[in-house]
Amino acid sequence: MKILTSWLREFVDVTAPPEEVGHLLSMRGFELASIEPATVTPRSTMADGRSTIDDGRSTMDDVVLDFEITANRPDALSVQGLAREAATAYSLPLRQPAQGAGPLSLKALPQKDAAGVKVTLEAPDLCPRYAAAVVDVTIAPSPAWLASRLQAAGVRPINNVVDVTNYVLLEIGQPMHAFDLAKLAGSELRIRRAKKGETIKTLDGNDRALQPDMLVIADGDTAQAVAGVMGGGRSEVSATTKTVVLESACFNPKSVRLTSKRLGLKTEASSRFERGTDIGAPITGIERAVALLEEIGAGRARDGVVDRYPAPLQPRPLALRRARIARVLGQAVPDADIERILSGLGFTIAPSPEGWSVSSPTFRVDVSREVDLIEEIGRHYSYDRLPSTFPALDARPGPPDPRIARDRLVRRVLLAAGLSEALTFTFIDAAMAAHFADAAAIVPIGNPLSAQFSVLRPSLLPGLLAAAAHNRHRERPDVRLFEVGAGVTRSGESRRAGFVWVGDAGGGHWSGARRNVDFFDAKGMVERIGEALQTPVTFSAESLPGYLVRGRAATVASATRRVGSVGMLSPAIVTAAGLAANEDVYVAELDLDAIDAERRPQHLKAIALPRYPSIARDISIVVDESLPAETVRGTIRSAAPETLVSAREFDRYQGKGVPGGRVSLSLRLTFRSAERTLTDAEVDAAMKTILSALQTAHDAVQR
Amino acid sequence: MNDADIARLRTEFQQELARVSSESDLQSLRDKYLGRKSGAVTALMKSVASAPPDLKPVLGKLANELKQELEAQLTDRKTSLESTKAPVGAVDITLPGRAPLIGHRHPLTIVREEIEAIFTRMGYQVLEGPEIEDDYHNFEALNMPAEHPARDMQDTLYLDGEVPGEGRPATLLRTHTSPMQIRYMESHKPPVRIIVPGKVYRRDDLDLTHTPMFQQVEGLVVGETITLADLKGTLTTFLHELFENRTKVLFRPSFFPYTEPSVEAFIGCVFCDGKGCPVCKRTGWLEILGSGMVHPSVFEAVGYDSERYTGFAFGVGIERVALLKYGVEDIRLFYENDLRFLEQFPL
Repeated sequence: MKILTSWLREFVDVTAPPEEVGHLLSMRGFELASIEPATVTPRSTMADGRSTIDDGRSTMDDVVLDFEITANRPDALSVQGLAREAATAYSLPLRQPAQGAGPLSLKALPQKDAAGVKVTLEAPDLCPRYAAAVVDVTIAPSPAWLASRLQAAGVRPINNVVDVTNYVLLEIGQPMHAFDLAKLAGSELRIRRAKKGETIKTLDGNDRALQPDMLVIADGDTAQAVAGVMGGGRSEVSATTKTVVLESACFNPKSVRLTSKRLGLKTEASSRFERGTDIGAPITGIERAVALLEEIGAGRARDGVVDRYPAPLQPRPLALRRARIARVLGQAVPDADIERILSGLGFTIAPSPEGWSVSSPTFRVDVSREVDLIEEIGRHYSYDRLPSTFPALDARPGPPDPRIARDRLVRRVLLAAGLSEALTFTFIDAAMAAHFADAAAIVPIGNPLSAQFSVLRPSLLPGLLAAAAHNRHRERPDVRLFEVGAGVTRSGESRRAGFVWVGDAGGGHWSGARRNVDFFDAKGMVERIGEALQTPVTFSAESLPGYLVRGRAATVASATRRVGSVGMLSPAIVTAAGLAANEDVYVAELDLDAIDAERRPQHLKAIALPRYPSIARDISIVVDESLPAETVRGTIRSAAPETLVSAREFDRYQGKGVPGGRVSLSLRLTFRSAERTLTDAEVDAAMKTILSALQTAHDAVQR
Repeated sequence: MNDADIARLRTEFQQELARVSSESDLQSLRDKYLGRKSGAVTALMKSVASAPPDLKPVLGKLANELKQELEAQLTDRKTSLESTKAPVGAVDITLPGRAPLIGHRHPLTIVREEIEAIFTRMGYQVLEGPEIEDDYHNFEALNMPAEHPARDMQDTLYLDGEVPGEGRPATLLRTHTSPMQIRYMESHKPPVRIIVPGKVYRRDDLDLTHTPMFQQVEGLVVGETITLADLKGTLTTFLHELFENRTKVLFRPSFFPYTEPSVEAFIGCVFCDGKGCPVCKRTGWLEILGSGMVHPSVFEAVGYDSERYTGFAFGVGIERVALLKYGVEDIRLFYENDLRFLEQFPL
C-alpha cells in the first residue's frame, strides 16, 4: 500500500519525518517495504469546497511510503486506515477526510431510491449491503492534484469519474464502481447470481464465462459487472457518458475470493473485498465520492441514496479482562494505555467489573475475540516493553523421535566412510521416476510447477544421480554422495538412505594406482550400515530391481524382509541421468523404516575376552568359478567342529596355474575353544575333514 | 719446539678442518696430525722428551691439551658430517599423507542439528512428522478454513490432481511444520514443549531466494502460565546461541492465522552489523522467524481448554539461518549438491 505523506497528513498532524513514521508503523506490524521521493501537485480548495483551478504547473516534493499490509488488516489498505494507526502511535487525533464543505447535494437527503435507477438485491447472502447514487457528470480529465496523487499511489488516471472512485478506494478503502446509466437496460441494477452459461466482457476486454455461484451486478438483461471483481465493458464510463450510477457495496469475502480465483482476475477491489471490507462504509463511500465529484466540478448528484442493507450488523461487545491481558502478555499494562490505544484505534470502551466491555468498529473485521484486543494493546504498547522470561519447566520432556537418532547414526557412518551428504528435492521428473518404481506406485503432484518436479520420488536415487552428474560435469574425479530422506509411493512415506558412488574408489594418492569403485565397495558400505543399526543384512541375486545390472547387484534383506538393494546402475539409466555412458555407477538404497521393523532393542552386554589362544589355518582350493563363496563357506561350517570361530576369504585368483573356468579361493579358518587350548593334532584333523567335504561337495582341489 | 710451534700447529689444524667436506678428508686430517707414525702432534709429543728438563712439564701439558682438543674437534666434525648423510629407509615427508576418506555434512544438517541441540538443552522434545499432510491438519485446524485469504501466503502443492479450494479433503505436501502442532496436541495433554524439524513445500519457482522445498523447525510450548514474555525470553536465548551472544533481537507484530498475537523476530543485520546495507534494505534488521501466542481456535480444534492453557509457537527456516550464518548468496546452492560447495563446511 503506497501512501503519500501529504495525503496522510490530511488525516493526522504527524510532524515527524516520513522515515520515522515508516519505522514506527513497521513496529506496529506494517512493514515498510520502500520509501521513495515523489513530485505532486499541491491540493487547495476554496472556501466553498471547490478546487481552485490548477494548471498542474505548481509542484511540490513529497514522499511515498510503501507498506506491506498483512492479510488480516484490510482496513489498513487505505490512507485513512494507516493514518489511524499513526494517530494512535503518536497519540494524536484522527481527522475526518478533508472534503471541503461536504457533499453539496446529498447531505440531509432522505434515504430513498435515487432518481433514475432501480436497485434489487436478490442475493443478500453474497452481498450484505449495496448502496448506490445517481450523478449527472461531465467527463473530463481529473485536476492535476488528484491525478498526481493517484499516480503516486500507483494508479493510472483515466477520467474524473473513474479517478474519483479510485481515489475513494485509496483514501478510505471502500471499493466503488461507476456504471453509465444510459447503458443499463431498464435503468436497473439487480444483484444476483450469474445464470448458467452467462458471459461478460470485463473492462480489460476479456470475455469471461460465469458460473451460477458467482455474484454479478446485472441490468434488466445481462451481467454488467462481476461483483467486487471488475466491471463490464458495456456499461463502462466513456467520454460520452452523461449520468453515472455509483456503486458502493459490501460483498461476501469468500464469494469474491472464489470468483476472483476462478476467473484468474485479481483487482484492487477484489483484494480488499476478499479480506473483508467495512460494512459501515458504503454510504460513507458514496458521500465521499459525490463530495469529490462536486469539488472538482465533475458532476452533481441527484436526490437520494439507495441503501440495501437488509440485516444490519448488530454490535457484539467483547469482554476484555484486565487479568487476561497480563496472562497473555506476561505483564500488566496500565489502564490509561489500554484506553488510549483502543479508543485511538476506533474501539468503543466501557468499564466493566473485570476490565472493559469493548465494541469493535465495523472496519475491524479481524477482531472477534478478547485475544484480538489483547494483540491490539500489545502491538501499540510495544513488544519491546514486555519482559523476557523463561517458561516454567513443569514436566519431564519426553524422549525424542527415535528416527532422529537413527538417521543421525546412519549419516555418521556414511560420512565416516567418505561420502558427503546431499539434499535433493522430494519431487522429480516423471520419466526418471518410471525407472525406479511401477507406474501404479508413483504419486503424481496435482498442480506441479513443471515437468521437472511432477511426481514424488519413489526412490532417493534419481536425485542423487542428478547430483552426481552435476559434479562429474565439473571435472570431479570421484563422487561419493548420500542422502537420508523420505521416499514416497502409494503405500506411503518411508525414510530411506541412499548413496551413489562414481569414479575413483579412494581419494587418489601418489603411492598407488587408482582404482574405480566396484561392487564390493558399495556392498561393504551397506554391510556397515547394517552393522551400525545392529541388523545383520544378507545379499542375494533374487528379485533385483530393473535399474541394476544382473551379476553386479544384490537385493539386501534383513532376517525377514527385503530392505533394499545395492549394485551397478544399468547403462541406460546412467545415460538418462546425464552421466557418461562408460561410467561404472554404483548405487544403493535401504529402507530404514523396514530395517527398524526388524530391529530388536537389545540390552548391550559385553562378552568376556577368550581365555585360550586360537589357531589359524589357511586353505587354498580350486573350484568352479561359478560356485558362490557363500556356498563354500557353508560347506566348511557344516563339516567343521564347533571350535571353528571364523572362515574368511583372503584371496581369489584366476590366471596362471588355475585351469580355465576354475578359480582359486583362499580362506583363513580360525579355531578356538572356550574351555581349553586346542592341539595342533585336533585342528589338523578338522582341516582334513573340511577338505574332504569340499572335495566331495564341490570337486575342490587343494592347491 | 716451543709455545709458538704449538700455536701454529693449532691454527693450521683449524684451517684445514674447516676445509674438510667428507669422511675421507677427515681421516686424512686425523692421520696428518694424530697418526701414530707421522702425525704432527704425535711428533710433537715425542719431541717433549728431548726438551730441557725445566720446560718438560709445561710443554708436555700444552702438547697433551692440544691433542685432546684436536681429538674433540675431529669427533664433533665427524658427528656433523654423519648428520648430513641420508638415514636408512628415509621417506620424503613433504609428500601428501594418505588421508582416510571422510565426507562432509550438508550445511542445512549442520544448522538443523545445532538448533536441535539448543532446544534439547532447554528441555524440548524433538519430534518429526509426515511430509504428506491433509487439508485439515495443514490448514483448517490451524484456523485457516477453506477460502481463508491467508492460504495465499502459502501456495500449496496438492497430490493426486485434487483441485485446490473446493473444500474437498485433499492430500498435499505440508506447507509448514505447524500441522505437527495439531498432531501432537491431538494425542498429548499439556504441558507441551516440543520442536519439530522437517521439510516443507511451496509452489514457488526456483530463484535466488526461493526453493519449492525447504526446511523448518517448528516449536510449541503450552502450559497454564505461558506468556508472550516467555516467547521473547526463549527466542532471544535461542537466537543468541545460534548467532552470537551480542546479536540484537527485535520483536515486531505480524500476522499468522494460527497465532494471536503474532510476532516476527529480527536480528541485527549480520552483513553490516546493523548499520544498514542492501541485504537488510537499509533497516539494519533481518527477519529471522515467525512466532506468536497459540490462537485459542487452535486449542479448541484439538480439545484443549483455551481459557486454562496458553502457549507460544514459532517456526524458523533452516535455509534462512544458513544463508545468514554462512553468507550464502544463492539458496539454490543448498540443493545443487556441488561438492566444491559442500566441502567448505566442517566435518
